[in-house]
Amino acid sequence: MKKRLSLFSFIFLSLLIAGCAGTQNRHTDPENDPWEGFNRKIYAFNDGLDKVVRPVAVGYDKIMPDPFQRGVGNFFRNIDTPVTFVNQVLQGKFKQSGSSVGRFLVNSTIGLLGFFDVATKMGLPYYDEDLGQTLAAWGYENSRYLMLPVLGPSSVRDGVGRFTDSYYHPVGRALHGRDIYAYWIVRGVDQRARFLDQDEEFEQAYDPYVLLRDVWLQNREFQVYDGDPPMTDYDLYLDDYAEEEEPDSEE
Amino acid sequence: MSIRVLLLAIACLFCNGLNAQAQADDPVALVERTTGRIFANVAENLEEYTANPQALKTLVRTDLMPLLDVNYAARLVLGRAGRGLEKEKIEEFAICMSSLLVNRYSKGLLYFSSDIKLQVLPQRGELNEKVTRVRTRVTLPNGKEAPVDYAFHKTPEGWKAFDVIVEGISYITTYRNQIMPDVQANGIDSVIARLGTGDLELSN
Repeated sequence: MKKRLSLFSFIFLSLLIAGCAGTQNRHTDPENDPWEGFNRKIYAFNDGLDKVVRPVAVGYDKIMPDPFQRGVGNFFRNIDTPVTFVNQVLQGKFKQSGSSVGRFLVNSTIGLLGFFDVATKMGLPYYDEDLGQTLAAWGYENSRYLMLPVLGPSSVRDGVGRFTDSYYHPVGRALHGRDIYAYWIVRGVDQRARFLDQDEEFEQAYDPYVLLRDVWLQNREFQVYDGDPPMTDYDLYLDDYAEEEEPDSEE
Repeated sequence: MSIRVLLLAIACLFCNGLNAQAQADDPVALVERTTGRIFANVAENLEEYTANPQALKTLVRTDLMPLLDVNYAARLVLGRAGRGLEKEKIEEFAICMSSLLVNRYSKGLLYFSSDIKLQVLPQRGELNEKVTRVRTRVTLPNGKEAPVDYAFHKTPEGWKAFDVIVEGISYITTYRNQIMPDVQANGIDSVIARLGTGDLELSN
């Protein structure tokens, strides 16, 4: 544990120092991302790391037959269920938490350690909760965007949530204090492989950092609101420029 | 007897006519009909479209475009950066955007066409003429459900969509934050040129 912690804290500290030393400070979204300069540095670091991770993920994607990849995805989703359960209880979603218990039992047994998602077919829907979402439900709605080294986009709230969740996550708990990286590596590579389709989008983006942030922030809000976030206020987007020529659209 | 049947038939026709009328106006029905038509067509002619993606783009363009308010979408995306631009420029930009959208949509259709399922959820609450959300659930071949929502508003030509929201990620919001600074830094013509590269000639 000491070793792992120290490795992470070393990376984090050196990035922090690098971040503080930075002079250019861009603010494309001061409200959500006041630490943009620092975040961009970590983004650059992660981007460099991706030069190594991506080829591995591409290989994994090529070698693994789709049904197997699906199974691996199911496995990781299943292994996270206890975290979802705890946070459903914390948010008072008792009925849904019952479904999670059922899912975990069914998929861990009949579903062969979660490789097969039998529960969904049995009418036990999948939910996804974590401490970050619980904190949001408790009123900690807006949190500063924070790029985490290796782990990627997050926020102060969700970073704290993630760290805390890992203490009672079945695998996270079992692996705490051990130098077993295989699980994390496979998980990371599998995760990365799922985003290969989006690479082109990022390559072509005007500002990939902003694209990732936008996508993450919006998707996170979507999760916090259990898939039903409030509608965007499009009027704000029209700004003052269209005032006199109202949106009368011609084909 | 025969008169009663005739009256009944006329009544039915009339009802159907009315229904069709009511349907035409309703965003949920619009999405249902349009996507249903496109999906059925793709499923039927999959081989042809795989061999000739151009034909698919044409189909998407003719079927989808009348439903979209691309000029409004362009205004939303440009925001402040569109201030002072001529109408023609905005429309030019809107055409670029719509070509990109058609290309992407066509690609997605081919990619997922094998066994994609689409479910249009019923309208929730009142129809709001400024913005109404139509919610759909797309079931991907791997069994995963992806929520895809459309934002509609009412125009003089009827209800039109101007945004697509996939798993909470709004096309307009995301695109806007890429395009606005680009336009502000490099000017609209440069952006149009960049977006249009190799794209406009494909789209017709």
